Amino acid sequence: MLRHAWYLARKDLLVEFRSRTAILSAVVFTVLVLMVFNFGRDPTAVAAVDLAPSILWVTFTFAAMLALNRAFQLELENQALDGLLLAPISRSSIYLGKLIANLVFVATVEAVGLPLFALFFNVSILHVLASLVAVIALATIGFVAVGTLFSAMTARTRFAELLLPVLLLPFMIPPLIWAVLATAALLAGRPLSEATGWLRLLAAFDIVFVTLAFVLFPATVNE
Amino acid sequence: MPEGVPQNSAFMIAAYVVTAVILVGYAVILYRRTLKP
Amino acid sequence: MKLLKTGRWITGIGLVLLAAVYVRALAFTPVERFQGPAQKIYYVHVPSAVVSMMAMGLVGLAGILFLLLKDQRFDRFGEASAEVGTAFSVVMLTTGPIWAKPIWGTWWTWDARLTLTLFLFLLFLGYLLLRGAVTDPGLKARYSAVLGICGLVLLPFIHLSVYLFRTLHPQPIVLKPSAPSLPGEMLMTLLMSFVVFVILYVGFVMQRYALSLLREEAPHA
Repeated sequence: MLRHAWYLARKDLLVEFRSRTAILSAVVFTVLVLMVFNFGRDPTAVAAVDLAPSILWVTFTFAAMLALNRAFQLELENQALDGLLLAPISRSSIYLGKLIANLVFVATVEAVGLPLFALFFNVSILHVLASLVAVIALATIGFVAVGTLFSAMTARTRFAELLLPVLLLPFMIPPLIWAVLATAALLAGRPLSEATGWLRLLAAFDIVFVTLAFVLFPATVNE
Repeated sequence: MPEGVPQNSAFMIAAYVVTAVILVGYAVILYRRTLKP
Repeated sequence: MKLLKTGRWITGIGLVLLAAVYVRALAFTPVERFQGPAQKIYYVHVPSAVVSMMAMGLVGLAGILFLLLKDQRFDRFGEASAEVGTAFSVVMLTTGPIWAKPIWGTWWTWDARLTLTLFLFLLFLGYLLLRGAVTDPGLKARYSAVLGICGLVLLPFIHLSVYLFRTLHPQPIVLKPSAPSLPGEMLMTLLMSFVVFVILYVGFVMQRYALSLLREEAPHA
């Protein structure tokens, strides 16, 4: 199953990176947002460290939404989904493949965004880099997992781009909040023990929802 | 009322009225929707 | 139709009992010393919150049963419970801030309870919007089930994170909200109110379920 998923993910990613439009827009958008936030605030009034976690996560969230909106769009446009379903691969592989592709997409944007963020906001992240990456990874997995499942459902509806964020909102906010809180704790130099509570919640959320999505995905594509 | 108790009955009334409006309102809406369409 | 008739009767009785609870709460239950009359909002806010959560739980449960047993009745029930749950969650979402303003001094705060009420409402809204957006009945039922189950699973996480937030960030307590250990009369009023809200839930769901049946018999043009 893993192999099938990997092939599927590769296919999606190859399409993405060949055309490059999506990934470029996401990266450019991230840079734009970071710049705007940077110039928009008064450095003397608000410490970068206070505002920084929220800004970081806003940009990552937008990148994730960009990825998710396109997740099933490709298949839909070319009626390719039926072809995929006829192929002798399990439904779960399709989900896993989509999930991996989306994660790689978002991770790329985050990998570009994080250093830029540290640069613009003059925030030192190296000393907490490992923990920070853990937080980012866990939160991203969380909302991309749910988002991939939901995008399978919304892809065929009218107003898909509008419906997906609305459906996703209650599921994205908790991991987002935990991530912002954990990031804030880490950047402010608080002891790690404060952030671990949120990290554990994030991990639990991921385990539960990735499993749930795997189990439920077949219901969204079966006849 | 004894001294020192906050005078906030207005909020209480507001909440009770809103609740009644919503619940009775929904009951009426359901009733009308189920009258042979 | 028997279901509809029974539903209407139960709703009617529920509304009459609601009036009785109102009288009891407003006139015959003591005023809380430190919070004043506004504390009585609890008697409508808490039951509506509990019923909303129960409604969401049942939507999720119906979703699981539908996916496992493929019985359309579960889908109809989920649809009914979601709509009724939305109504109760609107009560919850409006009475919450009305209670918060006099007690905490602000209409809204991202505190545990209020945040949860908002989420519950958004979950119901999403469920109804999804149903509205999907035209194929088979897909509609399956998608709703999926969303309902996800919503159900999300609830404990919201509770957990709210609890964790409280222990890590102790809230400045302006006026301590009613502790669970209510004196006898207040507890009685709360329990009575809760029973009435459940009766209303049942009556509403029966009618809404009947409505689905009616629509299937004679499809709208």
